Amino acid sequence: MSDFSSSASAFYQPEIETLPREAIRALQLERLKKQIAWAYARVPWYREAFLKRKVKPEDIRSLEDTRLLPFTDKSVLRDTYPFGLVAVPLEEIVRLHASSGTTGKPITVAYNQHDLQIWSECVARIAVMAGVTRADRVQMAFGYNLFTGGFGLHYGCERLGCLIVPAGAGNTERHLMMIQDYQTTALISTPSYAMHLCEAGEASGLDWKASSLRIGLFGGEPCTPGLRHELEQRMHIRCTDNYGLTEVMGPGVSGECLCSRDEQHINEDHFFWEIVHPETGEPVSENEEGELVLTPLSKEAFPVLRYRTRDLTRVTTEPCACGRTHARMRKVRARTDDMLIIRGVNVFPRQVEDALAGIEGVTTHYRIALDNETGLDRMTVMVELTPSAFSDSFEEMDHFRQHVAARLKQALQVSAVVRLVEPGSIARAFGKTRHVEDQRNKA
Amino acid sequence: MAVAQISVFLENQPGHLKRILAAFEMEGINVRGFSASDTGDYGIARFILDKPRKGLSVLQNMGCAATSAEVLCARLPDHPGELARVMGIIADAGINVLYGYSLISAIIAIHVENIVQAEELLRHQPIELVTQDEISSPQDNA
Repeated sequence: MSDFSSSASAFYQPEIETLPREAIRALQLERLKKQIAWAYARVPWYREAFLKRKVKPEDIRSLEDTRLLPFTDKSVLRDTYPFGLVAVPLEEIVRLHASSGTTGKPITVAYNQHDLQIWSECVARIAVMAGVTRADRVQMAFGYNLFTGGFGLHYGCERLGCLIVPAGAGNTERHLMMIQDYQTTALISTPSYAMHLCEAGEASGLDWKASSLRIGLFGGEPCTPGLRHELEQRMHIRCTDNYGLTEVMGPGVSGECLCSRDEQHINEDHFFWEIVHPETGEPVSENEEGELVLTPLSKEAFPVLRYRTRDLTRVTTEPCACGRTHARMRKVRARTDDMLIIRGVNVFPRQVEDALAGIEGVTTHYRIALDNETGLDRMTVMVELTPSAFSDSFEEMDHFRQHVAARLKQALQVSAVVRLVEPGSIARAFGKTRHVEDQRNKA
Repeated sequence: MAVAQISVFLENQPGHLKRILAAFEMEGINVRGFSASDTGDYGIARFILDKPRKGLSVLQNMGCAATSAEVLCARLPDHPGELARVMGIIADAGINVLYGYSLISAIIAIHVENIVQAEELLRHQPIELVTQDEISSPQDNA
């Protein structure tokens, strides 16, 4: 299946990856129609949802008609747990994966052989986009478990022809040993684990500059520009991010190429994307930010139509310097779940973080508390003072507090009460940190 | 002549001052005077310590926002009018007292705008200024 012949090739499947845009759209429409008919014929939940909206598969004649279809969101997967959306006989299923449910039952998805083939192909493509070649030795630091990251990237890299070291999560000393002994060149991990490895390596005298490692394929949590820069400087690697979610497949939906940092090519022959307004669900125009909605086009076992990812991004179809014609989505840094509406203004916690990063004398750790005891929304931002910004004078401290508040207001377009807190007093956590405590309407 | 004062930024929460004091105790640092004032959300605790430099580094190692400033310490006879006399001298010279508090016995610490001038003024009055050495000495109980 793979057309990968030369190790220097910049594409995994050049004929697909450089397809003219009209041809991509035509292929998407053809596959979308099939996928819709497949889900309608085989999944009772979809049939009912179509009936409720008085829509039939044959009503979809163009990609724009997709908006006639119902959305699928996480609650649908929860309500049909575990096999309600499965479209093939269970004997045909060869793999289950599940997303980490923080509350209640996990979201479970199923794959048949065909689905796993497509998945590996998608992952192989994004690995090549990130600069990985079949000559690379890939060290896996994701766990091999229900989480799609481990197995998804494993089989994708194996499909590409890499040597893969299935080390799994944890055991930092062994990871460091394997990097040195097996001379591995690419690391698959979360960015925070990469930072942990970096520090442990430095502490044990490992010279990262001289090490064989050259690429980081990161996922599982957002990698902030600051963390990426630090990893690149200290580990002497190129950090790349890829995107995917369990509900539509796993990693391999989109990935960063070497030409456009912070933007990821969507594997459009396998995923139809839409960007919609998070509240109305109506499409927004190209290059405008909105919620990413994905319809996998090549799934058999677990078809999902118009999945609401809750991830906010914008997509461009402008040509990319790498030669790929597939649309690029901006790296996701916020989710619709994160969005706060304060006195009618949309505020994202990451805006607070970005603003704090530009202010001398505070750290980027913060907490937001919301209340409306007085009838009006009030946002209080707890900000950590750095030791160097402390002054023995209340007057100076108050000036400083007002300065931080003014900068935040400038960035957020809504005023916030700033509370200075002691250095180190805000709990540190990687990944899905809870930054917001919303006490509105609770008093 | 001026005495070192160690200030630390504290959130106005139970246990935060205690944490600082416990650290001083563990390091064998004697607190000879202190004041804690607040703005509602946060406060500044100020300490006169027998080992101010050590005290500052203990706080810094704990990751606290702490700093050192100079204050004048004067030992006042324990009878009416003494505090008024000291403050009067400073006020008459047009120097602003930013804050003040008393230490062990009747020693007061004051932070003023112009510490050199204020010290000079008080030195020429029958007022007993207390030195860092006296503060640091465990014998000083007067």
